[in-house]
Amino acid sequence: MSAATTTRPAPAAVARVSLRERLSNPWGKPRFLALTTWVYIGWSLIPVLLAIRFAFNSGRSRTSLQGWSLRWFTQDPTLSVLHDPTLLQALKHSLVLAVIVMLVATPVGTALALGMRRWTGRGSGVANIMLLLPLVTPELVFAVGMFLLFTTAFGFIGLGTTAQAIGQVTFTLSWVVLIVRGRLVTIGRDVEEAAADLGAPPHEVVRRVLVPLLIPAMAASLLVSFALSIDDFVVSQYLASGSDTTTVPMRIYSQARGGPTPALNALATIMLVVSLLALLLAYFVFKALTRGEKGASAIQQLATVDAGGA
Amino acid sequence: MSQGDIQLVELVKRYKDVVAVGGIDLHIPPGEFFTMLGPSGCGKTTTLRLIAGFERPDGGAILLDGVDVSRTPAHRRRVNTVFQSYALFPHKSVVDNVGFGLRYQRTTKEEARRRVAEAMALVRLEGYESRRPSQLSGGQQQRVALARALVLEPPVLLLDEPLGALDARLRLDLQVELKRIQEQLGITFVYVTHDQDEALTMSDRVAVMRDGHVEQCAEPRELYEDPSTAFVANFLGASNLIPVGVSPNGSGSRLRLGSFELHADQGAHGLGDACLAMIRPENVRLFAHGETGENRVPGMVEEVVYLGFHHEVRVRLATGTVIKVDVPNDDERDDHEQGDPVSVHLPARHLRILRADEDEADDDADGDDVPPTAPAPQHAGAQAP
Repeated sequence: MSAATTTRPAPAAVARVSLRERLSNPWGKPRFLALTTWVYIGWSLIPVLLAIRFAFNSGRSRTSLQGWSLRWFTQDPTLSVLHDPTLLQALKHSLVLAVIVMLVATPVGTALALGMRRWTGRGSGVANIMLLLPLVTPELVFAVGMFLLFTTAFGFIGLGTTAQAIGQVTFTLSWVVLIVRGRLVTIGRDVEEAAADLGAPPHEVVRRVLVPLLIPAMAASLLVSFALSIDDFVVSQYLASGSDTTTVPMRIYSQARGGPTPALNALATIMLVVSLLALLLAYFVFKALTRGEKGASAIQQLATVDAGGA
Repeated sequence: MSQGDIQLVELVKRYKDVVAVGGIDLHIPPGEFFTMLGPSGCGKTTTLRLIAGFERPDGGAILLDGVDVSRTPAHRRRVNTVFQSYALFPHKSVVDNVGFGLRYQRTTKEEARRRVAEAMALVRLEGYESRRPSQLSGGQQQRVALARALVLEPPVLLLDEPLGALDARLRLDLQVELKRIQEQLGITFVYVTHDQDEALTMSDRVAVMRDGHVEQCAEPRELYEDPSTAFVANFLGASNLIPVGVSPNGSGSRLRLGSFELHADQGAHGLGDACLAMIRPENVRLFAHGETGENRVPGMVEEVVYLGFHHEVRVRLATGTVIKVDVPNDDERDDHEQGDPVSVHLPARHLRILRADEDEADDDADGDDVPPTAPAPQHAGAQAP
């Protein structure tokens, strides 16, 4: 350090570094990478920000800016989210459905993940892959199949809230299994063996060791399945039975063709905020519950959580 | 202490086609510090896991105080395990970790508290009761794991490379501590390690394992001074293995090494003609060139390595074999230099005769830079990892 200051390299030498050299400098800041990343982020966010902007429009237009107001949230006596019964009903139904889905999918998915861990024999590998198949199945195909099922074989259930909940739980389970299984891998088998070694029978191993250690993953699962349910359009649409089982995405879709007002943007904004809050909560709950643990388990888990929200 | 007697009878464990444990017979009397030593993949950990009940044997029996427990699940066996990874419960405090198993022994709250405190004192962890495992150092975590097992007062404690994850200094401290605890409690320790120093310093008896069977089971001193196979000689400490022809000679035997003839005190009954003569580097003596006498072989110094308290001198014998010699740095000996002609004395009482093992060459301990051992004719020097 001192040598560098005493010899003081000629400033000309620094200036002579060519542009080409500066761009290809492997030790330099990754400016180009940063630029492309930010361009992409901007590109993907602009439509969302625009939609949000029009939620606060004071005029009726969804295409030209007409000042700021909360008219479409609460102020308008007939058309605002607060005063339009169809919008309010959709919001209520979406939330009810999401709560049902998260409360069912999380425990069932956790149990499934625990079971899959025990099962190591023939067929377990295939089953493991099949379990994750819903993640890549086109939702439309799945929804059409579900529709057929609930109108024929499971006709006694019929279409409606129950069918919607079952349908959403079915594809949400894959995510829960994915999250819980990731956590199980980081927990490792040796704590289970240690608990058994100390005299704990199998159900006690689950109760006193596995479940407490799985709580972060279960919390993450709750919120991810909530966000997935609120976001869902295809399954809810196919399994809906009438106006009282219309969810927010369905309402927005159907009204967009009628007489759309910025109230739809307001509704979408509310949903966006609710899902974002759910994911943020998932992030912080997970972080708080795994604090002090070694390894990158929290980050690993959150990658899954983020993917779930996308 | 009359409890804690373990007997393994024809114990077999296979994983698909791989035989992990191939019919082991062992008897571990109560109160013994028994070590299973061997390279990775020799079946020592699998054997321990079979005793603990984490694996189910494919054949044979595990007798604990005379009762076969091989079909008893882990949580009903009166043995406890200390894991290499510690396997502490990260969501519980140190006391809750230590007290975990007491819930399954019908103890009163008062007694449980007393026993946890005793166990904490035994491993010298007083004052850390309310910490989480993640707030402890590796050595402290290992002590918690130890206390958690010992608090249940098991007749047998199984330890699976418990010091493997610790640094060398701490390992030495904990070795002493483990030995102290074992002697204080008088319970049976079954200890698994691949570290020969650990095995030699702590154990009452050591079983050297290889490819799922016990190669030799003896006290450390016997194991080191009188190994029964070349593998054992190599795995424990450094050894020179010299291919020789053997013929009996009175109570001892006569060894032919090229054109030289050596004498060994040990008899060689039923070992056949082609054998290996084993001698530890510290038992070989170097003399000035030309000195003659029994068991003297001329050679030339190939390499001298300074190792602090001694020099390791590699000497190529006139027969071509390279042997290692430990020369203490005690100012009384001449310094040897590369190229010096010397006379090598292989004392008759230190020469051991071992069966030449055909498949020895392709599975030396770790497959690292150890030179091939037995049948390779020109290089007989070998060192355990």
